[in-house]
Amino acid sequence: MAMLPRAARPAVNAAVRPAIGNTIVAARAFSSTPSQGATLRELETRLKSVRNIEKITKSMKMIASTKLNKAQRAMASARAYGKANQEVFENSEAKSAEGGKALFVVISSDKGLCGGIHSSVVKRAKKELQAIGSAAGSADSTEGPAIFALGEKPKAQLSRTLPKNIAVSFNQIGKDIPTFADASAIADKIVSSGINFDKVNIIYNSYVSAMSFESAIMEVLSEQSLRDAPGFSTYEQEEDTTKDLAEFALANAIYATLVEGHAAEINARRNAMDNASSNAGDMITNLNIQYNRSRQQVITTQLIDIVTGAAALD
Amino acid sequence: MTQAAWRQFFSYNRYTAICGRATRSALKESERVKAERRGETSLRYQEWKDGKAGEQTSIKAQPKQQ
Repeated sequence: MAMLPRAARPAVNAAVRPAIGNTIVAARAFSSTPSQGATLRELETRLKSVRNIEKITKSMKMIASTKLNKAQRAMASARAYGKANQEVFENSEAKSAEGGKALFVVISSDKGLCGGIHSSVVKRAKKELQAIGSAAGSADSTEGPAIFALGEKPKAQLSRTLPKNIAVSFNQIGKDIPTFADASAIADKIVSSGINFDKVNIIYNSYVSAMSFESAIMEVLSEQSLRDAPGFSTYEQEEDTTKDLAEFALANAIYATLVEGHAAEINARRNAMDNASSNAGDMITNLNIQYNRSRQQVITTQLIDIVTGAAALD
Repeated sequence: MTQAAWRQFFSYNRYTAICGRATRSALKESERVKAERRGETSLRYQEWKDGKAGEQTSIKAQPKQQ
């Protein structure tokens, strides 16, 4: 470290009197690159910041892995809810009317750093709306299908591309495993919003495997489609109960999709942070090599100075 | 029997949510703590009109209405 002062002088000069400092260095060096002391300092700061980032991404990955276990268990039981939900509709062979009015629920979350989760759902929503739009005039207007956005991120993306279609947006989603109370409140809001619909298309991310997810749609038919279904009369239900069943089915479906979307997001975040950590690790290796090379160059130059200075004194 | 006087006020989902809350609060202490977690919701919502978000980022205050 005693050698540092001589190397530091050009760097100090370069900082205090930039033009003069640079020309002095330029006269000494064979190229017009900045003094080696300066690049050394630069590399050091870069190395320090990338090391910090690697620590952060590694810890985020650990957190996501631990959360994933709990989320996967919740997803398994929620899937059973979703399946049981469809029983009545399937057995009574309810079908959605062709060209029926659809209502879309886009499910994602508030937080980022999870790979392409939010854009996957929003892209699917845009695609669906375009399909409707090409069949019946323009879809992106207040006359088009209504969208209920769950989460800050999809809300932001949708408000840029389909702002007129958004009916209600929710936030504070994704902090913890969703509860049925959340799903019930959302379904209640949909029903009480007074919007007319024949079916609800819930767009969410389904958990395909530990490495991937895929956007999917769960269709929930309205009370009217259930009444019109051929096999429904065998159930012998009263008017009011059918309405209740349809609303409860909606809440069930929203619950199942919320929980699965949550699990898919945690999985994606774990993968994304894993990739980020390994990229940061590679960067650190490269920067280390550069730093050492630079450091050795500085030491060599100083040694040369000393030796030539000593030789000149002889 | 006054069949479902609640129908004029709210939907079936809110009805079940209120009943669920009442049932949970009637449980024995240890079970109640476990069950309370199932009833927690911290959702907030915003109504949108014509591409503009409404000012009410209202908290889901419905659970508070008994």
